[in-house]
Amino acid sequence: MPLLHIAQLSKRYGTDKYALDGIEFTVDTGEFVAIIGPSGAGKSTLLRCINHMIPMTSGDVFFNDTSTKALPAHTLRTHRTQIGMIFQHYNLVNRLSVIENVLHGRLGYKSTAAGVMGWYSTAEKQQAVEILQSLGLSDHMYKRCDQLSGGQKQRVGIARALIQNPKLLLCDEPIASLDPSAAKIIMDTLKDINQRLGITIIVNLHQVDVAMRYAQRIIGINSGKIVCDATPHDLTPTIIHQVYGSEAGELILDFGEQHAQA
Amino acid sequence: MQSTTKIILRPWNAATLILRTTIISLIVITGYAFTTFNTRGVDFWAGVDMLGSNFQALLLSPQLKNITFVTMVHNLFITIGLGFLTTIFGAAIALGFALLAAQNLAPRWLTVIIKGLTAFIRAVPTVLWVLIFAVSAGLGSVAAVLGMTFHSAGYLIKAYAESFEEIDHGTIEALKASGANWWQIVFQAVLPSSATALLSWTFLRFEINFSTAIAMGAAAGAGGIGYDMFMASGYYLNLHEMGAFTYAVLAFAIVLEAGATRYKASLSK
Repeated sequence: MPLLHIAQLSKRYGTDKYALDGIEFTVDTGEFVAIIGPSGAGKSTLLRCINHMIPMTSGDVFFNDTSTKALPAHTLRTHRTQIGMIFQHYNLVNRLSVIENVLHGRLGYKSTAAGVMGWYSTAEKQQAVEILQSLGLSDHMYKRCDQLSGGQKQRVGIARALIQNPKLLLCDEPIASLDPSAAKIIMDTLKDINQRLGITIIVNLHQVDVAMRYAQRIIGINSGKIVCDATPHDLTPTIIHQVYGSEAGELILDFGEQHAQA
Repeated sequence: MQSTTKIILRPWNAATLILRTTIISLIVITGYAFTTFNTRGVDFWAGVDMLGSNFQALLLSPQLKNITFVTMVHNLFITIGLGFLTTIFGAAIALGFALLAAQNLAPRWLTVIIKGLTAFIRAVPTVLWVLIFAVSAGLGSVAAVLGMTFHSAGYLIKAYAESFEEIDHGTIEALKASGANWWQIVFQAVLPSSATALLSWTFLRFEINFSTAIAMGAAAGAGGIGYDMFMASGYYLNLHEMGAFTYAVLAFAIVLEAGATRYKASLSK
């Protein structure tokens, strides 16, 4: 069942060249999709067009078979509550505690007054505690976020997205600022969320090998256009060089493991 | 064999020429001014000596004469009250407008209008605002409160708005992406992130308002220790009493500074 359909999506900043140029693809419920491409290819813009953080220039995004092109303000809020987002720099409120940051994920469901005052229901708090437990953060619940390590901050970011009960999780370079072991924990967590909770995941990545290991499907973007849309299995060095517009041998790639099985 | 050519460190150009001409002219003008002062027959060293003894009377032998210690403390608190009240009023007004003046929270046209208006308010000195309000309120404490509040608000709107603009854009983006609306973002992300900055600006403004309140006591008849100082210096010509007031003001300034430092430290922990 298709969850998300991107139809001829284009985005242009001012009168510059198109950042996204006729992007078209469909994502089914439960898929784990990785988007790769060089810096400035339009990966971040694409993610932000899906939840309308950036207005699209033309085309449409269908979510649950509903067009989201022209949403009135309150429907836009509802649309966004169904889509969780995590970021390269975590984007937490550093001065607040871990649990307060997690509960921020509920703001989209709340009235203005309740959100302003930070009034959360017992059920919401219970859910926050459960999510923190499942991510191994229960010991840090009352710590301020600036006391956490990068990997822990990213897990708080994931918890904040999960408490939205999202259907789709957008991840913008989630491991670009993390060391390899923290990066592995985050990617394993995302994989687990995808398999255990059935949440669809779209993740922007710089690391091709990580994309090949975790994703079921890899979309390559260059200059705002889709260059390839394949399973990791079908991805060859030639295709990857097309995505990055580079000559063979100019990229750090490790195909050993993948193609040994092939 | 050493080269005999001179190596120039600063080649001549228009900038160095202007800079050097300016410095030389300033030296010449200063020298000329010193030779042409109208000293009215007062000997320079006698003048320095007198200044020394005046400072001695002011700082080394403070003594109250025309008012009691209790009255002095009472009047000091009136001045503190004036400074405190105008800071609180100014801060309350500024908090609202600063949200509309921050570029990451309000549309650009609105921020330009508000920032322009506050720039105008700040360009006119506090004392002038007090005198302007004195036209309708009469010279006295009401005009002082209104004028000082006005200028404080203008100052704090700019300071607060810049603190808001400095917070991480990503934090706002993250809450927006989860469906939070403007008010929720302001209270859940913007204010917690900028709380220490807001507090230190407010304390700084309180210090400014405290010293302005002393001047207003004398200049605008707002009462308090400023008025006592005005009477001691201009009416009774009593430097000893002036010294006592100076120490009272100094004591409060130290308490204020220590309190502010400690409070900020406890907040940022």
